[in-house]
Amino acid sequence: MHDPKNKFRIPMGPQHPALKEPEGFSVALKGEKILGVEIRLGYNHRGIEKACEQRSYVQDVYLIERICGICSHTHSTCFVQAVEEIAGLIVPERAQYIRTIIGELERIHSHLLWLGVAGHEIGFDTLLMYSWRDREIVMDILAQVTGNRVNYGMNTIGGVRRDISKDQAADVLKAMDLLEERTKYYIEIATQETTIIKRLKGVGVLSHEDALRLDAVGPTGRASGVRRDVRADDPYAAYGKLNFDVITSNHNDVYGRTLVRVKELMESYKMIRQALKDIPDGPITVKAPRNIPAGEALSRYEAPRGEDVHYVLANGTDKPERVKVRAPTLANVQAVKHMLRDRFLADMPIVIAAIDPCFSCTDRMVSLNEEDHSHLLRWDELRAYSIKWHRDNMSIDFSGLNKKLMDRIK
Amino acid sequence: MKKVEALRDELVKNFSFLDGKIGIPRPRRVFVEVGQDKFEEVFVWAKDKQDFSHLCTITGLDENDRLILIYHLAHDSGVLLNIRTSVPKSDPRIKSIIKYFPGAEIYERELEDLFGAKVEGLPEGNRYPLTDEWPKDEHPLLKDWKPKSA
Amino acid sequence: MGVIKKIVNWGRIKSPWVLHFNTGACNACDIEIIASLTPRYDLERFGVVLKGTPRHADILLCSGPVTRQMEERLKKIYAQMAEPKFVVAVGTCSCSGGVFKGCYNVKEGIDKVIPVSAYIPGCPASPKAIIDGVVKLLHSLEEEGSK
Repeated sequence: MHDPKNKFRIPMGPQHPALKEPEGFSVALKGEKILGVEIRLGYNHRGIEKACEQRSYVQDVYLIERICGICSHTHSTCFVQAVEEIAGLIVPERAQYIRTIIGELERIHSHLLWLGVAGHEIGFDTLLMYSWRDREIVMDILAQVTGNRVNYGMNTIGGVRRDISKDQAADVLKAMDLLEERTKYYIEIATQETTIIKRLKGVGVLSHEDALRLDAVGPTGRASGVRRDVRADDPYAAYGKLNFDVITSNHNDVYGRTLVRVKELMESYKMIRQALKDIPDGPITVKAPRNIPAGEALSRYEAPRGEDVHYVLANGTDKPERVKVRAPTLANVQAVKHMLRDRFLADMPIVIAAIDPCFSCTDRMVSLNEEDHSHLLRWDELRAYSIKWHRDNMSIDFSGLNKKLMDRIK
Repeated sequence: MKKVEALRDELVKNFSFLDGKIGIPRPRRVFVEVGQDKFEEVFVWAKDKQDFSHLCTITGLDENDRLILIYHLAHDSGVLLNIRTSVPKSDPRIKSIIKYFPGAEIYERELEDLFGAKVEGLPEGNRYPLTDEWPKDEHPLLKDWKPKSA
Repeated sequence: MGVIKKIVNWGRIKSPWVLHFNTGACNACDIEIIASLTPRYDLERFGVVLKGTPRHADILLCSGPVTRQMEERLKKIYAQMAEPKFVVAVGTCSCSGGVFKGCYNVKEGIDKVIPVSAYIPGCPASPKAIIDGVVKLLHSLEEEGSK
C-alpha cells in the first residue's frame, strides 16, 4: 500500500495569473485526500428556456432536442408529452410504441458510450474501442430508422414523423441479437476480471441512506438500492404495457453503477423485442393545433442518466409562456460532491464519470487547493495522475486487459 | 398506490384553506396553490407525512408583478404534487429548503440568477448558471429582459 | 518556401496533432469527433493524433456555439498554440450558432472569437464529414507548402 507521507508529484498545468481561467472543479486537498469539491456548472448554459418563449412549439421541438446530443430523444419526447397533455391530444398507440423503441435504442447507445468513456478514465482504453465499435451497430440502426445518427427528429406534437417498416423492424431485431451477445461479454468482464473489480469496488461510495437523502437519480441512485425508474413509477409512451425489470444493486459504488448499466442494456434489448412484437397498426400522428390552449403540465422521462423533468406553461398562443427543463445530471450534483469527500484525489476521474455527467468534463480545468498553494490541471493531466497512482499504489494495471481485448477486436 | 383523490381529501382535511385550490388534471398529477405564509407547513407535511421524498425541481415564473415558484414533489408511486406559491417581485425573498432537500441548492441558485429571487439560507458558493461577470441585477428569464446586442 | 519550412510543413501534414475542445456544445459533435477516431472511421490512418495540450497541437477541433463561460478559455487555448495553427469549426453551431442563434448566453460561432480555417457543417457533423473536412484542410496545407 502507499505511504501517505510520500510526496506525490502532480503534473503542473500552464499557469497564467493574468488571464483568469474558469475552473470547472475546485478541489480542497490535504495531501492526497480530498476535503471537498466544488463543481462549477453553467458551461453549456445557452439560454434555451428563454429562446423557447420566443419560438413556436414546433420550432421548440427542434431546439429542445439539442439540449443534449446524447439524450436528444429524451428531451424532445419529454417536451412533446407535456404539450400534448395540455392540448388534450390522444397520441396514437403506434406512435407511443415507436417513441419507446427509439428511446430504448438511445439508452443502448448512451450506455455503450458510457462504458467506453469509463474505460478511458481508468486506463482501460481498448474498452473504448470495443464498446464504441458495438455502439456503431445501434448508430446504424438509428440512422436507418430515423434518418440521422444523432438528433433523430422523430417527434412532432401529436406523434412521430416517421414510421418503422417491416424491413427496418427485422434489422432492428437482428441488431438486438448481435448486441445481446456482445453485452454478455461486458457482463463477463465486469463480474470476473479482478483488475476491474479491484479498480471499481469501494470507489465513489454512496450509501443507500445518503442516496435517498441527496435524492440521487438514474443508475447512480439505483446502484445504491434506490429503486426509482420513471418508466416503471410514472409510465409514459408505451412503457405501461411492457414487462421489464428495474435494475438495482447493493454495491453502492462505481462498480454497482457499472453493473446497473450493463444489465440495463439487456433489459433494453428485451423491451425493444417486445415493443416490435406488440406494436399495433394504425396512424402515427394526430393533428395538433397551432395554438395550444392555456394550461400547464409536468412531464417526466427516464433518460439514460436518470429522471428528466419538463414543465410547460401554455397561454393560448403558438408560443409557450414558459418551458422549464431539469436534466438528470443536475439532480446528482450533491451526491457526487458527497462521494468525493474524504477520498483520494486519484478517485476523482472515474467517480465523476460514473454519474455519466451531461457536461463535457474533459474541457474543465481542475483547481487543486492546498493550505498554502494551488495548482491548475487539465482534466487529462488529472486522469494521467489517477492512472499512474493506481498503478504505483494499488498495482492496478490495465495493459494486460488492453491486450486481451485488442486481440478480441482483431 | 397513492390515489390523487385521496391526497386531495387529506390536503383539505389538514389545511382547510386549500379547499378549492387543488387541481387534478390527470392521473398522478396534483396542482395546489398556497400563500407564502403557509407554504413551509404544507411542504413539510407533504414530505414527512405523505412520503413525497423526491424533489424534481423548482420552477420560476414571471407573472406581472409577482414571482411564482412551483415546487415539484414526487412520490414513489409516481404521483407528482406541484405546490405553487408566490412572492412580490419588489421583495422576492424566499426561504431555502436545503435543510429538507440538500439537492435543492442548485435549483435555488438558478432562481436567483435567472429571476432575481433572494433565497435566505443558502451557503457561500458559486452562482449558477451565469458567469461571475454577468451583472447581478440582470435576470434573463424575466419577461421584460431583452438581450443587449453583442 | 525554405527547406526547413518545407520539412516542418511536411511533418505537420503527415501527422497533424489535434486538440479537441467543446465550447458549450450539446455533445453531439464531440461524440462524433471521438467516433471518427474509433476503428470504424479511423481518422488516425491519416496520421491524426489526439493531444491533450494546446502547446503540442497543430489543429484545434472545436465544437459548440461558444457560451460566455467558455469564451475566455477558448481564447487562452488558441493563444497557447504555437504558430502555424489551424482552427476547424465542427458542427453548425460552431459555424454560425446553429439553433442557438439569438440565445443570450452564446457568441454564435467560433469565428466570433478566434480565426477559423475550416468549417464543417452538420447537426451534428457526421464522422465522414469530419474526416472529409480535416483531409481537405491537410490538402490545402500541402498546396501551401508546394508554393
